[in-house]
Amino acid sequence: MRDYTLCIDTSAGTTVAVLQAGQVLSEVHFDENMKHAERIGDAIGQALSAAEIKPGQVTNVVVGRGPAPFTGLRIGIAAAVMFAEGSGAKLWGVTSLDAIARAAFDRHKQSSIPLLVTADARRSEVYWALYSGLSESGAPVMIEGPGVAKPAALEDLLAGREFNRTEIKINAADLGKVFDAQQADGSASQNVTALYLREADAVAPKDLREFGKRVSG
Amino acid sequence: MSPADKGQLNYIIREALASDLDQIMELEKTCFGSDAWDSKTMRSEVVAKHTYYLAAFEEVKLIGFAGISKLPGNDQADVQTIAVSEAARGKGVGKALMIELLKEARRLNTDELFLEVRADNPAAQNLYLNLGFEHLDTRKRYYQPDDVDAWVMRLQLAKTSIGREPIVLGIETSCDETGVGIVRGNTLLANIISSSMDEHARFGGVVPEIAARAHLEALKPTLDQALAKANLSLKDIDAIAVTNGPGLGGALMVGIGAAKALSVAIEKPIYAVNHLVGHVGVDILERGELQTPTVALLVSGGHTSLLLVRDLLNDVELLGETIDDAAGEAFDKVARVLRLKYPGGPEIDKAAVGGDPKAIRFPRGLSLPKDMEKHRYDFSFSGLKTAVARWVEVAETKDEPFSVADVAASFREAVADVLVTKAINACIDQKVPRLLLGGGVVANARLRELAQERCDAHGIELRIPALSLCTDNGAMIAALGSQLIMAGRAPSSLHFGVDSTLPVTSVQTL
Repeated sequence: MRDYTLCIDTSAGTTVAVLQAGQVLSEVHFDENMKHAERIGDAIGQALSAAEIKPGQVTNVVVGRGPAPFTGLRIGIAAAVMFAEGSGAKLWGVTSLDAIARAAFDRHKQSSIPLLVTADARRSEVYWALYSGLSESGAPVMIEGPGVAKPAALEDLLAGREFNRTEIKINAADLGKVFDAQQADGSASQNVTALYLREADAVAPKDLREFGKRVSG
Repeated sequence: MSPADKGQLNYIIREALASDLDQIMELEKTCFGSDAWDSKTMRSEVVAKHTYYLAAFEEVKLIGFAGISKLPGNDQADVQTIAVSEAARGKGVGKALMIELLKEARRLNTDELFLEVRADNPAAQNLYLNLGFEHLDTRKRYYQPDDVDAWVMRLQLAKTSIGREPIVLGIETSCDETGVGIVRGNTLLANIISSSMDEHARFGGVVPEIAARAHLEALKPTLDQALAKANLSLKDIDAIAVTNGPGLGGALMVGIGAAKALSVAIEKPIYAVNHLVGHVGVDILERGELQTPTVALLVSGGHTSLLLVRDLLNDVELLGETIDDAAGEAFDKVARVLRLKYPGGPEIDKAAVGGDPKAIRFPRGLSLPKDMEKHRYDFSFSGLKTAVARWVEVAETKDEPFSVADVAASFREAVADVLVTKAINACIDQKVPRLLLGGGVVANARLRELAQERCDAHGIELRIPALSLCTDNGAMIAALGSQLIMAGRAPSSLHFGVDSTLPVTSVQTL
């Protein structure tokens, strides 16, 4: 099989991987949750050279759709869209939390207890999703979420229910494994819309003239 | 800053004549002492057919000279000498002479320009490096009797790796317009703009997060349209250019992420370029060249800047800028006061029809004598906006009917007056007979009209590019990238980031 999959995720740090037939050929990680714009080009370039392939050989581009705080997430998606456009590869989207769930299930094997995956959403909130396990082909099965909540509100929501947690960080290689499984299931999606789960921060002023009013004497 | 603060010189540069030889020899001897050429050698150099010598004069006093030599049939040229009088050093005279020599070298179709510089003169080396020269070789103990090495430096002119006019794709996402443009050399092939303006309307101004989200959605369709319009595929693109500042950080990052991935995917170089310098360079697409020196007035919702451009790639100076709101912002805010729609510029233009621009004398920011000392070329629109709001508030409180047309016309007059006055001042002070306008506010009819009137009165040539090239667009970014490539500049690395306050002196981020 000559299919190469380039996986990109900027929901936390910048992580890029190249997979072929389920095998991870290369991974490049910048853990810092910043400087995505600075790193994305090098990360993609380095992942391709480490896998010893040319951009034109990439057949699928898989990108993490988040959920994630806004700025970084967009850079990875913009890069994936343009890489697919430039290389002629097909473009696919995967929920970033699915990749974390897949890695956790791979590590701890399947248990009958659901798994709660959370990620930092900043502003003292977390993104979350609850998974029951893996499908036969290995795709995580989300049973609730994805959502964004204050940790206390999430505890209330899940109170009295039994679940495992994971501290695993997102890795683009796991994104590729989820994609492979979803392809086998026929559930792979070409939707790459960013999962912000929050509205843009702006509030429309009630009176657009308010700025002109006197604030103090 | 006023000209005096910078210790600026008023000087002119022209071709050197045989009648300048006495002054040239005097300066030659002061600058080079025992190494100085004799007057016979100097005369034959200055008058020779295969050389081009320039002289810089402050009034009638020679303050510098420089020359190149290019033998017929030879693709290479050499910088023969450059000298600046001690009193005039550190004031940009040497750089100005070099820039003029480079222009001549280009006119002569030079492929490579060489020069030697003392290894112990870092100031000169930096000047040449900034002009795009590279350190090619070192000649040991070249300068005697000082026993100092010489750096041999080379500038590859018009030598692109592709040997023809480059096809460059430009991506612009610094504010609320997603722009993708394509140029071939100095020729415009496509200029597609997708704006998120309507989404900002209910907020009365650009919301950065909404703009950034819109860029992500708009990039691919805008790129596809640009390629279709140019009748090209990505395989035909020789290089990518992208804005990396100044502008809204989150918005710029979307364009940078996209441009870098595209560059890697199509295996073509990337150039990170300055948005404001892009606004200046866009004139090349209409006229085939940018006539320099020129003063440029860039006015939009995000910027109000007055620039002195002696050379697009090598010498752009910020004379002044707004110290608070941009002019476009003032239009938006005053439109709100008058209960007009967003964006304010066109609405105020419409409302002002039939109004008396002299009905209300609104303040001209930073125009009082004391402000003109410190802020001769700076702008301020915050006070004007508040003055209009107060005026309307008072009228409404007294329940007095007032003419919206008069308020709109008087406000617009105040903005246009202060913009044009300061731009014309700059042209006169700097002895530059050209003014170039750029930015979305150029769409304002009164601004264009007043600029034309005053330029005509002062014998200043006014350039206003087509509106589609004045508003933020990708074509101007592509055009600037194309200029960099044709000047032999190396591409940017893949590590560059966003600089929201990128200074105009940084044309390209490496």
